[in-house]
Amino acid sequence: MKKSTIFSILCIVLFIPATLYLGTTLPGRWYYLTSTLIIIETMIPFFLVFESRKPQARELVTIAVMAAIAAVSRMAFAFIPHFKPITAIIMITGMAFGAQAGFLTGTIAAFASNFAFGQGPWTPWQMMAYGMGGFLAGLVFYKRNLTKNPLLNAIIRAVFGFICIMIGVGPLLDASTIFTTGSVINWPFVWSILISGLPVNLTHGVACFLTLLLFSNPLLDKLDRIKTKYGMMEAGNRGI
Amino acid sequence: MAHFEIKHLTFSYASSNQKNSLQDVSLTIEKGSYVVVCGKSGSGKTTLLRHLKTVLTPHGVRSGEILFGGTPLCEVSQRDQSSKIGFVMQNPDDQIVTDKVWHELAFGLESLGCDQKTMRLRVAEMASYFGIQGWFHRDVAELSGGQKQLLNLASIMAMQPEVLILDEPTSQLDPIAASDFLNTVRKINLELGTTIIITEHRLEDIYHAADKVVVMEHGKMVANDTPRQVGALLYRQNSEMFAALPAPVRIFYQSNASGQCPLTVREGRSWLTSTFEAKAPTVTEPVIPPVKEPTGAPALRLKEAWFRYEKDTPDVLQGVSFEVPAGQLFAIVGGNGAGKSTTLKAVCGICKPYRGKVEIFGKPLGKYKSGELFQNCLSMLPQDPKSLFVKKTVREDLEEMTKDEKKAAQAAELCEITELLDSHPYDLSGGEQQRAALAKVLLTEPKLLLLDEPTKGLDSFFKQKFAKILKKLQGEGITIVMVSHDVEFCAEYADLVSMFFDGQILTTDTPHRFFGSNSFYTTASNRMSRCVFRNAVTAGDVVSLYQKNMEARA
Amino acid sequence: MRKQDAFSRYHPVVNFLFFLCAIAFGVVIQHPAYMLAGCLGAALYYVLLKRSKGLKTLLGMLPVAVVLTCINPLFNTRGAHVLFTLFGRPYTLEALFYGMIIAGMFLVMMLWFGCYNEVLTSDKFTSLFGNLIPSLSLLLVMVLRLIPNFMRKTKQIIGARNCIGKGANDQNTRKEKVSDGMTILSALTDWALEGSVVTADSMRARGYGTAKRSSFQLYTMTTADWVLLVLIVALSACVIFAGGTSATFTPELEISHISWGFFAYCILLLIPTALQIKEAITWHILRSNI
Repeated sequence: MKKSTIFSILCIVLFIPATLYLGTTLPGRWYYLTSTLIIIETMIPFFLVFESRKPQARELVTIAVMAAIAAVSRMAFAFIPHFKPITAIIMITGMAFGAQAGFLTGTIAAFASNFAFGQGPWTPWQMMAYGMGGFLAGLVFYKRNLTKNPLLNAIIRAVFGFICIMIGVGPLLDASTIFTTGSVINWPFVWSILISGLPVNLTHGVACFLTLLLFSNPLLDKLDRIKTKYGMMEAGNRGI
Repeated sequence: MAHFEIKHLTFSYASSNQKNSLQDVSLTIEKGSYVVVCGKSGSGKTTLLRHLKTVLTPHGVRSGEILFGGTPLCEVSQRDQSSKIGFVMQNPDDQIVTDKVWHELAFGLESLGCDQKTMRLRVAEMASYFGIQGWFHRDVAELSGGQKQLLNLASIMAMQPEVLILDEPTSQLDPIAASDFLNTVRKINLELGTTIIITEHRLEDIYHAADKVVVMEHGKMVANDTPRQVGALLYRQNSEMFAALPAPVRIFYQSNASGQCPLTVREGRSWLTSTFEAKAPTVTEPVIPPVKEPTGAPALRLKEAWFRYEKDTPDVLQGVSFEVPAGQLFAIVGGNGAGKSTTLKAVCGICKPYRGKVEIFGKPLGKYKSGELFQNCLSMLPQDPKSLFVKKTVREDLEEMTKDEKKAAQAAELCEITELLDSHPYDLSGGEQQRAALAKVLLTEPKLLLLDEPTKGLDSFFKQKFAKILKKLQGEGITIVMVSHDVEFCAEYADLVSMFFDGQILTTDTPHRFFGSNSFYTTASNRMSRCVFRNAVTAGDVVSLYQKNMEARA
Repeated sequence: MRKQDAFSRYHPVVNFLFFLCAIAFGVVIQHPAYMLAGCLGAALYYVLLKRSKGLKTLLGMLPVAVVLTCINPLFNTRGAHVLFTLFGRPYTLEALFYGMIIAGMFLVMMLWFGCYNEVLTSDKFTSLFGNLIPSLSLLLVMVLRLIPNFMRKTKQIIGARNCIGKGANDQNTRKEKVSDGMTILSALTDWALEGSVVTADSMRARGYGTAKRSSFQLYTMTTADWVLLVLIVALSACVIFAGGTSATFTPELEISHISWGFFAYCILLLIPTALQIKEAITWHILRSNI
């Protein structure tokens, strides 16, 4: 077995329970540290698989380009306040290149853009949330033929994106607030944080819905064009 | 000893079922030589160059053989190829991988898995040789285009290649950065003995230095000889490529002179001086067509416009004043960062001067309602034509501007892109992209057209084609204001030329008087001929003066 | 290059370890004395790094802390001393006190992260992990390279479109604004993907993938770095093993006596500030000797 596989399994079966155990038995307020460590430990296997695969140059560049587009996509909508298409673009990357690429694009986009906006306690949570968005989109839509009607396909993707944000990505983003500001974590507290975050998540969800509806078909076409034009997915170059 | 040996190479792209992109090319490149490959866009130069490195070789059907130092190239390991064959591409931006200058310098060495000690030493060496120490720690994003391309070169040289291949490395740079870059390449060739294979359309700076010039045409190699021989050959064959040769060469052959052909301005000067030494020329000035007196109101008038980007940054425009008479092709020349592009932005209303006036067709800019200005009035072609492409095909891009298919077809016809309408804009060559973007801009039906560096990256054929279109537009009564570094182009085609320096317009005059009175900032033809003729600024001027004098002698 | 403070000039490993310890202790230890020390230590260095701007941010954080303090008792109703009842739920003194601690810990964390962002710049971060995760850190570096590039291009596209009378402005409807945004995004994507092919070629042309990547180390560990590293590890060990950090607030106030570990904690927190002051004094003396 590869070293990275062993380490990944270790992460899941050993480190996460150990973190949980220590976090609950040691004195002090462990909510934030434990939860964040678990988040990081969940991401590690993804990273290690990518690392051990020795990604090709074009793969690396494509993920980098998509992550950077996601990070700057906000700029194109300067006239509409709070319109954030970042998750939608990460999801489309997942749909075009698979769950793993989607996950990486999300985490890297979140991490890199925080070098501009400032890293903080929210960084691992954002990475996880956006990564999850790309991952799920890839899991559901990668290499899957939907209907023959492109508009219908776009609607299916858009609805999926909206639901994903409302029940997955959004709450994960709010979770860091829960763990950093609560003295006790009980249901009333969790609900009040989630409800106070609802307007933000709703605008986020609508932006994602609209972007997927209007932009998923063209962007998937563009990615296809690049794939075929440069034989990105073909076997290595034949020399003479 | 032969460094590269290409034997009967024939190649066609997998996607195209048309003729071959390379047709039976055989070429030997000696170690340490300096080889210039030239040809029109699409003649197969890039395809040929890319065959010299396996990882860059395009997909397709090929036959023939390429030997690198005696062994077939495909048998040379990827690792050896990476370090021994350096390849610099056209776009300075896209080649850069990492975010810091130091990291980019080390990138190739990291890929080869060099150890710390070697890496540190090589990076230090390169930074010192290329004068990069001053910006070693900077972000790549802060560099100028010239610096970026120099960084690309340095990061390749860090791997100590034996041969350096450059594919139009200076097409995106301004003339000063370009000649700096090419001088550095020359220095590498002379000081390190690195073999250089370069394609360029700005031949002025490299033609004379070449050991060998290879001319490509429709995938075939039509010439492969010393620069002087190639010049003679192209003239004899009446080749299209002749127009791309440096001015001294063109003037020499077009004048039907005899003797050894000059390659540089210096040689050209001594050729002219010695020709007219015994007998001074009788006609010394070209016939200058009378200047059309401007009629009616000026199309554009700036009066003491002042502008700065931020409250506490220096002024970019420092009292710019000029008038553009209606119907003229007005060119603004000047160095980088002088504020030329900002002037155009001020005319478009994107930068609002905090003092001074901008009037378009006699009406102050502020009086135009939003939307009114860019309908049937004013339009700008940006420096990078790609900024305007937003759709999948050129046709859809044109349709974004107008619903009227006939109008779109007319604009396409005018810009000679009718047969390209169904292509993806990014599949076009640089010159075609420029014309497609122009067609899109023209669909706003402007009366005043602004062009920002329209000849950047174009080869001489596309420039001629572009100039023809501009003249046609002028014929339709459109006023054109052009900002450019391209002295030769302005001298040839502009009606009025202005010098922009330090946030101001210094002088405005006709090209003949403007370039005739400059001694440094002028065309190669003028620099070469000013010892015997006055105000001869284009190659055509010099040729006709020479011939007139020769006829007078006879 | 940016002006750097004394602590930033140390090796990234030292910087990273310090922040790791400071932030971890800051979010875990809820002892009031530790919390207070953390607040002061972090605030001192934060203001030292960011000067008047930092002071402004610091003052801006205070209302947030007050709100956090007041909100917590609403959800944590345990405690013996009931101040008043709100919506039928007790609002206790213990919970209010606990809220104060939470707010303090929040401040400590935000301030240390603020310092972290100043000290651990992107190149320091990647040089930390360049050897450990070469592909991922290369990916990160590439994204950091592309972001400013794409921002510039987006501005160019918007500018170019404005100059042909396209592009949204405030008068447009929401629908027009969205579709204009999509058009810009689409143009940017086309441009970016086209460039990506060149970038990939450029990587492979420079040998990417032909060998196991090594990583150029811009920073090397000096004696001073090792000394500081050992000091940070030793002080952290003291904090962990000396004990006396436990404190519970609800349902009952139970705060342990501070031990000598507290002094270790204080020294740890003051390291960056002390280095900065030491440097200022050294330079002062050097200059006055000239």
